Amino acid sequence: MDHSALLAAGVDVLSREARYIDERQWDDWLGLYLEDAEFWAPAWRDDDTLTDDVNREISLFYFESRGGLEDRVWRIRSGQAPALTPMPRTAHHVTNALLEDGATAGAMTLHSAWSCHVYSLRDKSQHVFFGRYQHDLVYADSDWRIKRKKIVLMNDYIPGMIDVFCV
Amino acid sequence: MRYSDAADYVIDDPARGEFRVHRDVFSDQDLFEEELKNVFEGTWVFLCLESQIPQPHDFHCARIGRRSVIVSRDGDGAVHCFYNTCRHRGATLCHTERGNRSVHVCDYHGWAYDSGGRNVDIKDRDFGCYRDEFGEENHDLVPVARLDSYRGFIFASLNPDVLSLEEHLGDARTCLDLIVDQGPDGMELVPGRTNYTYDANWKLQLDNGSDPYHLTSTHRSFMRIVHRRAEGKSANTQVESPDFQKRFAMPAGMFTFDRGHSMIWADHPVPENKPLSGTMERVRAHAGEVRAKWMLRTRNTTIFPNLQFNDSTSLVLRTITPLSVDRTEMQVYSFGPIGEPLDLRRRRVRQHEDFFNVSGLATPDDTLCYADCQDGYYNLSGDWLQGFQRGMAAVTHGPNDPARELGIAPATSVLGKYSMQNEMAFHAAYREWVRLMTLGRARDQRLAAE
Repeated sequence: MDHSALLAAGVDVLSREARYIDERQWDDWLGLYLEDAEFWAPAWRDDDTLTDDVNREISLFYFESRGGLEDRVWRIRSGQAPALTPMPRTAHHVTNALLEDGATAGAMTLHSAWSCHVYSLRDKSQHVFFGRYQHDLVYADSDWRIKRKKIVLMNDYIPGMIDVFCV
Repeated sequence: MRYSDAADYVIDDPARGEFRVHRDVFSDQDLFEEELKNVFEGTWVFLCLESQIPQPHDFHCARIGRRSVIVSRDGDGAVHCFYNTCRHRGATLCHTERGNRSVHVCDYHGWAYDSGGRNVDIKDRDFGCYRDEFGEENHDLVPVARLDSYRGFIFASLNPDVLSLEEHLGDARTCLDLIVDQGPDGMELVPGRTNYTYDANWKLQLDNGSDPYHLTSTHRSFMRIVHRRAEGKSANTQVESPDFQKRFAMPAGMFTFDRGHSMIWADHPVPENKPLSGTMERVRAHAGEVRAKWMLRTRNTTIFPNLQFNDSTSLVLRTITPLSVDRTEMQVYSFGPIGEPLDLRRRRVRQHEDFFNVSGLATPDDTLCYADCQDGYYNLSGDWLQGFQRGMAAVTHGPNDPARELGIAPATSVLGKYSMQNEMAFHAAYREWVRLMTLGRARDQRLAAE
């Protein structure tokens, strides 16, 4: 596959992920992730540096397998979490995708910018979270799947609630 | 209607077994302005840890209510605290949360101060045609009235007329000891901060931090997820979380202290889940058998008005900063022993992320419930809340057996089963609130008369 075909395949995964979350197709969303996929959003250590050791430092989200995301989806569906009842609406925008050198027909890494508009029906407030993504994708079972996703949240001054569907 | 006396907003009648707080305490704009002056600027407020400014010239910016202050270690190692504002035109000096600077230079006209707050340069002073009298004025940064620390926790008071920090903390010092002594080589903030706001009064967090009653309703989804993990229904195996439902029949209680401090406690259903359990041998040798036992209990500690610890599985340190009557800022850190083995530190980190983080499975449920309460206070004002009564019939005035075991003399104590989920720890804060508000009003009246 040439560079543009790989990039197009990667962007397709990014766009599908955004759509699945915004349209609450949770099983499809989880299906994009390999079972052993890592999902990581480091916290900020100070104004200029992010935490980088998941075992010794705090992350906003760190799941070493898809099980962490599945817990979150269970919670969304439970209807028992005040913060998720009613469920906030979101719209993700993922842009500026760049393919890292060394991509093959079997594995690639994409870097992109994202923003997520969150509308809380509870108090009619809205907020935009934004930052950058790194997606490590592998070709498995005749589709591209997410092996690892790293999320950098630039505005980490958080109005009361943030969850995996807001980033 | 407005009451003329702050004390009228709290009905505190132990003889009749009555304790009520008026809704307006959380929603009245004028009371909030008075609180900033009389509570946050009227007593000792926690700023930061000595370990956050370990080196000469390290500094940390903190808040005392609405005031911004710089806590700075000078070249000789002494700690200072001054208002974060240049003496020249008043510009804010420091814009980063922390760093290391031997000299703070104002962005505006370049006046410079050393790490002890002393003015070391007035730009182009010699050409300035200043009158001689200018040279006689003090140009240093303005220090806070009182600054002291207890076991590495740095506190300041903008009011000079306060007890010593040691007297102010009283026997709540033991509650802090039970935290600090978990680290035979000292304690540290685990890197990675969480800052968040919520749309409600600062006292909602103050109360919630010692509220055992909300767990099974507010955090129902978290508790069910913990069950699912225990039953093998969740593929998430990276975090060890105990089933706190099992605690219901176990012993629990609380202590209140003078000056607003309190601690609730309960036996831990699975103490082996605590990262601390892995280093208990050294901790026992260091702190003694009794204190070691208390460290393995769950304990929520409030140091009035802005510092809280929740030590359930892992240990969290929270500071509370009021932004407006219905908006509050939180800074939250995981807190752990220096030199903690990697497997225990990893467990601590995962437990913190799972529950305490604003991105975790519990905190957003709290913050949105606070906002609901705030809406409720606007919806129906002029009423008295009924949330200060659970445990009223179980209160001991003075120490009980658990207090005597710890060697402390609380103002009130409770001992019972966890299922009581008592609300008695809240009383300490409102008693102190009344005291400080009353003192402040008397001071204002005295000044007005002069």
